[in-house]
Amino acid sequence: MNKQAKLLIIDDSDVIVEMLYQFLKSKNYDLVSASNGLDGIKLFNADADGFDLVITDIVMPNISGVGVISILKNKRPNLPIIAITGFGEHPESLAAEAHADVVLEKPIDLNILNQHISDLIRNSSTYQSEVK
Amino acid sequence: MHTPLIGVSPEIIKIRELIDHVADTGLNIVITGETGVGKEVVSRVLYQQSPRNNKPFIKVNCAALPDGLLESELYGYEQGAFTGAEKKKKGKFELAHKGVLFLDEIGDMSLPLQAKLLHVLQSGEFAPLGSEREIKADTWVIAATNHDLAEKISDKTFRADLYYRLNIIKIYIPPLRERPEDILELVNFYTDEFITQFSNKNIKKLDNNTIDAFLSYHWPGNVRQLQNTLKRILILGNGKEIIEELKRGDTDFPDSSKSNIIKNTSRLSNTIIPSYNFDEEATDLSNFSLKEIRKKALDKIERDAILFILNKTNWNRSKASKILQISYKTLLYKITELNIEQPSAINE
Repeated sequence: MNKQAKLLIIDDSDVIVEMLYQFLKSKNYDLVSASNGLDGIKLFNADADGFDLVITDIVMPNISGVGVISILKNKRPNLPIIAITGFGEHPESLAAEAHADVVLEKPIDLNILNQHISDLIRNSSTYQSEVK
Repeated sequence: MHTPLIGVSPEIIKIRELIDHVADTGLNIVITGETGVGKEVVSRVLYQQSPRNNKPFIKVNCAALPDGLLESELYGYEQGAFTGAEKKKKGKFELAHKGVLFLDEIGDMSLPLQAKLLHVLQSGEFAPLGSEREIKADTWVIAATNHDLAEKISDKTFRADLYYRLNIIKIYIPPLRERPEDILELVNFYTDEFITQFSNKNIKKLDNNTIDAFLSYHWPGNVRQLQNTLKRILILGNGKEIIEELKRGDTDFPDSSKSNIIKNTSRLSNTIIPSYNFDEEATDLSNFSLKEIRKKALDKIERDAILFILNKTNWNRSKASKILQISYKTLLYKITELNIEQPSAINE
């Protein structure tokens, strides 16, 4: 039960990645990060069942966050994904259409983010055990 | 069989990798890059690698048609929808059902048509002109442009909501001058292709001097220009002259000038007026013929004008002849007479 949850962070901003990394490390998460959608998907594929949650930016080079969400949800429909956006309502609505579980707008409140992460992982593991 | 994506540069390798990851997703894609870099090639590779490869691949050039015509091309019309609509016609969206619709030059689409396209992408449904019935189509949209769409959004000539909806996957193809390591690969590939295409075993591969000229040239018209230059050298055999031009860096190939001509009509007049540098010091004036100069100037203006319209109509000669107000036969004659070459990427 106390296994460290493994999170994938995908964002093209080094500053955001660093901030999330430092904060979530302090919350005892196992973290992997990528700076664009393609690298994020490759890292995910390398350990597809190992990740408990993905946090992705929306506007990024090559594969956008919306693309990342669609591709990952297609592989693992119950994978919890949090989308982070700072670019107005269009990408936000797209992120929701692509079935992001939570869409947060920048600047993000880290404590709220942490609350969402805990809730989503808890719900997802309840779901997993119910399925079993 | 279509051209594969040729290149060994890290940029091309990355694009291949990206294609491998997204070809089976059916997510909207925008391919960007300068004219001639191979945007259509990338779209066709995506299609070939997708589960839709046994369904239609339909290309529409959004810059080649006036608004009304583009709308009826895309969505079709009912009989009697407008004057001249004698029979019902299916639109490209419907024809590309389960397949791919390649919207080339999407940056040139007008705002009203962008609004309609956005609606179709959101709902997956559209109504042909003159019809109230909505048709559902499962069409994978791949768009391409040589414009900076973000810039067009700030100019308010491209809708931000359409941009985000199309831009789920972005594929940027850098110009050839930024990936010179691909030049030799391209030369080898197209040389082999021309040998097969023209069934000519006597075509000689390029010598080192020519290859050096190819490697150091900046290729403003990118892969398409390289392809045409190579064809002119290998097939037509006027290599020396072209190589000298490449070395001087002032090669004026139709393909390289074409994209700029298309972009801005007002620039046509600057492009078509030939300039002559008369030699002030010249003493031998025996070849100075006004008649000859006049003919050369007229030929150049005619050539540029015809090429301009052919490009505008995506090389539809029938449409071009109507716009130019000359007969179809005259147009064909002029194309041959003025040595106007069709870019090989436009073959539909």
